[in-house]
Amino acid sequence: MTDYQLLIQRYDPEHDNEPRLQRFTVPGDHTTSVLDALLYVQQKRDVTLGLRWSCRMAICGSCGVMVNGIPKLGCKTFLRDYHSDITIEPLAHFAVEKDLIVDMTQFLAHLSAIKPYLINDYSGTALHKQTPTQLAKYQQFSNCINCGLCYSACPQFGLNPEFLGPAAITLAQRYNLDSRDNGKAARMPQLNGKNGAWGCTFVGFCSDVCPKQLDPAAAVNQAKVESAKDFIISMFKP
Amino acid sequence: MNTPVSARKPYQSKLSRSWWLKHNYYRLYMLREATVLPLLFFIGCLLYGLYCLTQGAAHWQSFQTFMQQGWVIALNLLAFAASLFHAKTFFALFPRVMPLAPAWLMISGQWLATLLVAAGVLLLCGGWL
Repeated sequence: MTDYQLLIQRYDPEHDNEPRLQRFTVPGDHTTSVLDALLYVQQKRDVTLGLRWSCRMAICGSCGVMVNGIPKLGCKTFLRDYHSDITIEPLAHFAVEKDLIVDMTQFLAHLSAIKPYLINDYSGTALHKQTPTQLAKYQQFSNCINCGLCYSACPQFGLNPEFLGPAAITLAQRYNLDSRDNGKAARMPQLNGKNGAWGCTFVGFCSDVCPKQLDPAAAVNQAKVESAKDFIISMFKP
Repeated sequence: MNTPVSARKPYQSKLSRSWWLKHNYYRLYMLREATVLPLLFFIGCLLYGLYCLTQGAAHWQSFQTFMQQGWVIALNLLAFAASLFHAKTFFALFPRVMPLAPAWLMISGQWLATLLVAAGVLLLCGGWL
């Protein structure tokens, strides 16, 4: 067992005006994740520590935090990879509710704004068939777990919270590329707007921090190509 | 019955102007964007040269003297390095935006095309000058 030094950002809305860092010493071995360490602090040191978590296996996307300034899933980040103080803060660019818990309302609003569901006039009961090639077109973009790490990595979202952001635009692209979907026309106004795909300047950090390797930056910039095509086609329409 | 008072007081931090200094990834991004600055100088030189060309031999001679100064050569070398760096980042991003072929093929294809065009232009200009 090794002792690790954790600096955890604390914020109690009932008493604090701004967040502060609090130091905790946590024992750990090569299997101890940041989430394990946070739960140790909550259970053994300070029961009032607020954090979100659920599955502990990088599926639910709940335990996103900033670890030394980089957005990470707590359950997928291990203490063994850090050799000095580990600073743990809530996800950047979101409003902090308490300690490591952020308000994700805006993020969820962006996700629902792009109509993330199949839109078609299909009403039959037979299976809607799809070939492996058709599936491959969007499959990579469908693996999003809505953890929000890409929003914390995106300075454009930090500067303008109205920007739809990486996950939402990736999700729009995921449905636009689905052979079973006919809802592209309904999604394009969102993507074409100034807070849509064109708000991205291809910083690319979102793809770097994505725990599911979706490459959201690629999806956003593919959406720009779609948006440009949409614009050109609209010029020739009566 | 009393209405419960919300204890919510969300803390929203502001992104500081120096956000891009906080991480290597952001610094590299800003470097990529800043490559336009030395390129602006190069384009200025190019336009000045074209203007001098239309004004006769004396102006063209003064343009050549201007271009041979140490600081102008240094800035143009910087512009060259900047454009190569920008090309490297652009070529790497392109296959992700338009995945038409395997990334390695698209990246090497772009470099090959750059070399061919550059060699063609050099041959053309070399013959002309």
